[in-house]
Formats: sequence, C-alpha cells, structure tokens
Amino acid sequence: MKRLTGIAFGVFLLISQAGAATVTDSRGPQTIAEPAERVVALTWAFTEMVLELDETPLAIADVEGYRTWVARPPLPDNVADVGLRREPNFERIAELKPDLILVGDDQIELVGRLYQIAPVLYFDIYSADHDNYAFARQAFLEIGKALGKKAYAEQRLADLDEKLAGLKERLEARFGDDLPKVTPIQFMDEATLRVHAANSTADYALKALGLEHGLPQPPSAWGFALKKVEDLGAVDEGYVLHIEPFQDAEKLFGQPLWQFMPFVKADRFGAIPPTWTFGGPFSVGYLAEGIAQSLLEFEP
Amino acid sequence: MNNIERHITAVSPPPAQRTERVGPRHAVVRLLLVVLALPAAFLLHLRLGSPIGIGEQWALVVGREPQSFADVQFYFAALPRAVVAVLVGGAFGVAGSVLQQATRNPLVSPLTLGASSGAWLALVAGTVWFPIAAQYHGVWLAMGGAVAAVGLVALIAGRSGLSGLPVVLAGMAVHILLGALANGVTLLNEQYAVALFIWGAGDLTQTDWSWVAWLLPRLSVVALILLIAPRPLTLLRLGEGGARARGLPVGPTVLLMFLLCLWLTAVTVTAVGIIGFVGLLAPNMARRLGARGALEELLLSLFLGALLLLATDAVALCASAWSANLVPSGAAAALIGAPVLMLLARKRLTAEDHAAFRIMASQRRIGRIGLLGLGAVAVLVVLAASIAAPSAQGWSFAFPDALVWSLRYPRILAACAAGIGMATAGLVLQRLIRNPLASPDIMGMTQGATLALAGTAVLAGGTIHEAGIPVALAGSLGVLALIVLLRRRNGFAPGTMVLIGISLAAMADGLVQFILASGDEGAFAILNWLGGSTYRVTGGQAALLGAGTVCLGLACLALHRWLELLSIGDGVAAARGLAIHPARLLLLAIACGQTALVTAVMGPVAFVGLLAPHMAALLGARSVKAQLLAAPLLGLCLMALSDWLGRTMLYPMQLPAGTIASILGGGYFVYLLAARRPASV
Repeated sequence: MKRLTGIAFGVFLLISQAGAATVTDSRGPQTIAEPAERVVALTWAFTEMVLELDETPLAIADVEGYRTWVARPPLPDNVADVGLRREPNFERIAELKPDLILVGDDQIELVGRLYQIAPVLYFDIYSADHDNYAFARQAFLEIGKALGKKAYAEQRLADLDEKLAGLKERLEARFGDDLPKVTPIQFMDEATLRVHAANSTADYALKALGLEHGLPQPPSAWGFALKKVEDLGAVDEGYVLHIEPFQDAEKLFGQPLWQFMPFVKADRFGAIPPTWTFGGPFSVGYLAEGIAQSLLEFEP
Repeated sequence: MNNIERHITAVSPPPAQRTERVGPRHAVVRLLLVVLALPAAFLLHLRLGSPIGIGEQWALVVGREPQSFADVQFYFAALPRAVVAVLVGGAFGVAGSVLQQATRNPLVSPLTLGASSGAWLALVAGTVWFPIAAQYHGVWLAMGGAVAAVGLVALIAGRSGLSGLPVVLAGMAVHILLGALANGVTLLNEQYAVALFIWGAGDLTQTDWSWVAWLLPRLSVVALILLIAPRPLTLLRLGEGGARARGLPVGPTVLLMFLLCLWLTAVTVTAVGIIGFVGLLAPNMARRLGARGALEELLLSLFLGALLLLATDAVALCASAWSANLVPSGAAAALIGAPVLMLLARKRLTAEDHAAFRIMASQRRIGRIGLLGLGAVAVLVVLAASIAAPSAQGWSFAFPDALVWSLRYPRILAACAAGIGMATAGLVLQRLIRNPLASPDIMGMTQGATLALAGTAVLAGGTIHEAGIPVALAGSLGVLALIVLLRRRNGFAPGTMVLIGISLAAMADGLVQFILASGDEGAFAILNWLGGSTYRVTGGQAALLGAGTVCLGLACLALHRWLELLSIGDGVAAARGLAIHPARLLLLAIACGQTALVTAVMGPVAFVGLLAPHMAALLGARSVKAQLLAAPLLGLCLMALSDWLGRTMLYPMQLPAGTIASILGGGYFVYLLAARRPASV
C-alpha cells in the first residue's frame, strides 16, 4: 500500500510537472506554468524576443515609443499599452490578467510587486559585467522555453547565425581577408555623439561580422561612451558609420572640422538605417545587416 | 506680504561700504592681476584643448592654412570653445554684477532670480511643442521665459524686497517650480530628452565659429552696459531716495538694467544651456578683491567671469579626457563654484534679524472642531484616492480587490507620509528661522540629501534608488553641520542658510546634470526620481516612512513649547529658561530627519514644506501647537491628491507625485503671494 501511494505520488508529480517549466533567469531557476500565453513585455528587448518567437505580446510598455524607436520587428495592432517603461502601470497590468511578465535591467525593483500579479522573469541583459549578447541569446532561449517554443527559439537563433555568417561572407568576398575597422557612432547633437563601446549591440554586430572596432571603448552598462565630435579625429583607419536619424546632419557635415576628419576626407563615412541599440539578439542581426550594407555600398 | 518685508532685513550693506580695508593701490594691482590672469588662463585652456604647440597655434590664428586634422581641431574646436567660454563667462559676470549693484544684494544673479530656469523652461517647451519656432527664434522664447520668471519673482518680493532675502527666497521658489515643470515636460517627451540633457548641462563644445558669430553681436549689449550703467549704479548706492534726489528716475533705470541682464541670460542659455553659477560668483569675488566704484566692479566681474568659466571649463576638459564620458562644463562650474561661493559670501551676510515670526494672518482662530474637520477632510481625500481609479473600461469607484489594493496602498501611504514629513520640516524651519519663506527645499536640506544620493550613485554605481535612507540622512545632516559651522556667533542667520541652500541646490543640479548628460537608459530613472515618485515605494518602505514621519511629527508636537518660545525670540526663550542652542539644534535635526526620510524613499518633494504651514495659518492655526496639527494634515491632503492625479491623469502613463505637488503647490504659492502684493506696497 505504501508503495502504491509512492507510485501514485510520483505519477501525480509527473503530471503536475508536465504543465510547468523550470526557466532560469538572472535570479536563478523559476518555475512557471507552461506555456505562457498572456505575456506582458516591459522592455523593448523582450518585446523583440516575443515577436521573434512569432507570438503577440498581450501588452508592452510605451507602444508609441516602440513604433517610433524600435520599429523592427513590427508590432501588431492589438497590443495593449501599460504606460512608460520606467513606470509601467501595475494596476493596468493586473487588470490584463497576464500569465507571464518579462522585466529587465533597471526594473529589478518592480519584480516583487509584479510577482503578486503573475510569474515574473527578470533578465539583467545590459550590464558592464557580462557578455550582453551571449546573455540576451540565453534569455531568448529561456523565454522560448517559457512560451513552450524551445525548439523554435533554437531554430530562430540558428537562423540568426546563418544570416550573420552570410553577411560576413559577403563582406569577405568584397574586402578579402583584410576586413576594415569600423567605428559605430550615433549623433546626439551637432557637437556630441555616442561611440558604441565594447558590450554594445553594435560591437557584437561587428564581432559577428569579423570586423574590428576603430575606436574601442571600455565596456559600460549600456555600451556607449559620450564623446565630442572632435574626438572622432582619433579614428585613423577604417570606416565610421552613424546610426540614423541625425537631425543636425546638414549643420555638422558642411563644417571644416568635419570635412577635415581623416575618414571623411578618405570618403569612409556612411550611415546605418535607424535601429534600436538596446534590444535583444535580433537587434544585433539588424545592426549587422545595416553595417554590412553600408560597407558594401562604398566604392571598392 | 508685509510680514516678509518688514521682518527680513537686507542681507548686506551696500557693496561700497565694505572695502575700507583695501587701499586703492591694492585694488589697482589686483585688477591688473586679474586682467593678466585672463590671457594666461586662455592659453592654458587652449593647451588642454589642443595637442599642437603654442607657436603652431599662433601661426594658425594669424592666418596659416590648416594642414592636419590637429590644426583644424585647434582652429575650429579648441579655439572657439575658449572664446565662447570667455564670452559667456564675461556676460554672466557683467549681468550678475549689474543685478547685484542695482539691487544692492550679493545673492542676486540670473540663476537665483529664476531667469536661467525661466529661459530654460521656455526653450524646453518650445523644443517639444514648437520645434521650428524654437530652432529659429529660440533666443526670443528664452527672453520671454526669463522676463516672465523674473517678473514673477519681482512681483512676489516687491520692490523693497529686491535688496533683501525675499527676492532670493522667491527666486529659489520660482526656480524650483519652473525646474519641476521642465522636468515634467521632459519626462513625457523622452524623444527630445537626450539632446535636452546635454544642452541643459551647459556644454561648451564647439565645432566651428558659428556660435561665436551668433553670440558676439548679441552680447555687444555688454559694451552698452559698461557705457551707461556706472553712473546710475553709483547713484543707486546712495539708496533709492538718495538716487531719486539726484535726479535719477529709479524705476525705469532699474527696469532697463534688468532687461539688459535678462537679454544676456537669454542669449547665453540659448547658446550653451544653463551655466548660471558664474554670474553669482564673479561679482562676489570682484568685491572681495577690492572693487570699489561701479565701473570697477563691472570690469572686474567681466574679467573674473571669463576667468572663472575658462578655469572650470578647463577642468571639464581634463575630466572629459580622463573619463570615458564627456563632462559638461555647466556641471563642473556649479560643482566647483558653489563651495567657493559659500566660503566667499558667508562673511558678507549679516546676522539674523530678531523680529518675531508673524504668520500670514487670519482673523479666525482654528478650534478643536476645526482641526477635527480638517482631519475628516484628510480621511475623505485618502478614501477618494484609494477607490477612484481609471481602468481600460472607464472609471471605477469601488474598493479595490486585495491584489490591486496591495499595489495601491504603498503609494498612498508614502504620499501621505511625505506630506506629513515635509509639512513638519517646513513648519519647524519657518518658526526657527522666523522666516515665512523657509522650507527644506529652499534651505538646502532636500538638496543635501539629493546630493548625497546622486553622489553615491555616481561614485559607487548602482541606481539612485539603492543608496537608501542612511545616505540621505548623512546628506541632510551634512547640511545641518554646514549651517552650524557657518553660523554667526549670535545664531543662525537666515542669509547663511539661504546661501547654503542656493549653493547646495546648484551643486545637486550640477551633479544630476552630469548624470543625465550621459543620456543612458538609467538617466530617465533619475529624472523620474527627481520628480519625487511613489511608484517604486514598497509596502515595507511606505510603512517605515509613515512610522518615521509620524514619530518625528509627534516629537515636534511634544516640543511645541520650545518652538513657540524660539519663534518669539531668543531673548524671550532664554528668559524662560530654555537652553537655546541645544533646543534649536534638536529641532533642526528633526527637520533634517523628516527631509532625509522623504527624500530617500521617494525623491525630492518641493513646496509642500513651504506651503502647508502657510495654509494652516490661513485656516487660523496661529499657535505652534495648532499649526503642528493642521499643517501635516494639509500636507497629507496635498500629497495624496498629487499622487492620485499623477496616477490617474494620463492613465496608463504616470507622472511623479512630487512634480504634480510642485506644480499645484508652486502655482498656488505664486498666486497667494502675488494676490497679496498690492495691499502691502
């Protein structure tokens, strides 16, 4: 009899486990009901990941902001808005009755209260202390698991790697073995800019393409260093590519200081179409695409 | 505002009377030294800003064609940057000097009059809502903002208040109000934020000569000032009556001087953002160096202003080269200038006035029933804030379920506690300083806590939320220590406290600008925190805040007799056997504790501390005891209402409670003071 109960208990455990998955986030292993269907993604990196799994999130933070700044992958119309990313509305989220909430980075303090609403996964993607890209890929796999699409998540990453390898091949075909250095930047105004540093999405895109950074910067949490335009004079070889948009382009690009930049004189300055630089693994893909295309447009 | 004018005397005698110790020959020598130091600083700045040698630099200046990128960088970046520093610094020096001489008040400047923040708010609002107008006519927007802000300050302070503390306190209040508005606008329009952050931090980086070319004709007003201002300014030193007796139309003259200075402010803010501190510091240094006549002070301020900005910008250049991120000049100027001002100006401020505290009088006297009624109103407000909430299906007015309640109550509790804490702190300060315009945010206690929290976030990393109560308390207590250290032999001079408040506010602003200028995703969290938000407050923190503020409030209530005696006057208090200094110190420490608790848990909360005691007085709470009961209840209502508005107005978006409280409270405060003006002229 004792043995029977033991077996019964074991079977019960098995059954109950069948609907649950153990997912490891930045805090350790978490058990959540699988598959999650009503997912709220509170940073745009998670919005990207859920969409890349071909699922529609129930709600995200700042719908308008996502459409303006991130744009890719496109957001379906029926996604609810829960307010701005730094203060997503708890009560609105509770009202939507989600079964999984994805939070990241600075939102760690929200985990406790969100957990009262639904299971929470927290991934600290952007940090100066680890490889952000590898971490984002791992987070994507874990989220895939939570959404019951583990195999599909692996497939998507394989697709991404294939795409990156293809881009790299095209660059090698064009530039040979001696790939040029690239300095990825983003203008803030006519006098200041961000140089995307080690640990930035852009830097991982460079690495994936086998390119070296032309003005390496130490890793920082969000992966950029704020610099003066004149500091770009230190770039002595390779290409400088800026991520659009840049409102004061006309003002700056006509100036002697700019015209005298070594890379401008050598006609090695190009643009990357607008891309969100604080996204998930697929942002690396979009950036790599932009970088490769921009490089391929230069005269050999 | 009779009481304010009557009971706060001017903080300083006219500048001319303070220079007996310095002989004329010394003054000439010092003037010469400053004039000679300027080219030296200019060359040093260029040396730091450009790698090429001085001979090369000279060759480029006199017309050699640039050969290398280093040449171009010198000629189109380093050189114009140094020139802009001289122009802007000089303009601020002159503007500050004219304002200080015209008002005979050493704490007046474009920054402390609210002109910089007025110009800044106008530019921020313009950039967001009228981008094309802001791009082409920004300077006129800025001018409009500066004029409106200073007009408001002058309206509050009144003409006779211009030479004393009232104008400085009113300026701080308007500065805080306009800053909160600009913050709110930025929070809701993230897309403009990063560019605004860098501009707001006052960065002098140049990429060609276009800003120099833009600034030069517009700053030529300086020459006009040097030409026409000395005579009227000299006459104004005789006092208004004396000046009028010698045939000077005082009103129009002062108005013209103000307008010229506001123009200089608007032009510089449009070009380089907020670099306000130089205008406050340079004239004080000029007088310290022995400037005597009006023209001499103007000239010395001009050169010192240029020198100061060159020097602080050189520090910013070095720091930028050393750190991964650019260090904005305005932040550096405030961080370096503020302590210098504290050291320089404290001796110039005369001691406290001994007049009794008089509240904005009401004929009524609030009784037990009145207080109970107030309590009932507070309960109703809290109840309304608890149940009325929007949802996707429209408004709901039912008591929320357990889940929603657990998410909502910490915010309401924190807001109420903050209202109680700030109201008590403000009341204690107003009674102790015997100044109805005192409050923790104007006297620097809030800024001390902010400075400590932001400083910890910068130095130790991590977010501003993590630093916690001990750090905030250390910051506020640091302010208290400063007040004690800098106090005069005969007690706590309001002038000294205001000086500390201004300096710390400028330093806190500078540090925050520095963090914001990096423009990363964490910057928004800080901006939000600066708004004073209940969003991140957990149940535990809210309970702690509630218990802490109520306990400290009760402690005040227990000590109400001390406060009553001290607010009548030191003599009376001593005669009744009160140990004045320990008593005052303990009460100040309680105010610090309240401020630090609130600031650590939800960020700086402005105006509640200023306003709640006034509203209590208006309702007839005349004794300290009645006011200690009524003010916290009113503070509670104001904060609960602000938090509710912040949560519901833009649903599902939210605004910080502190921002709303500043706008509500600041607006009401301005109305209150402005409406009372005519009666007391």
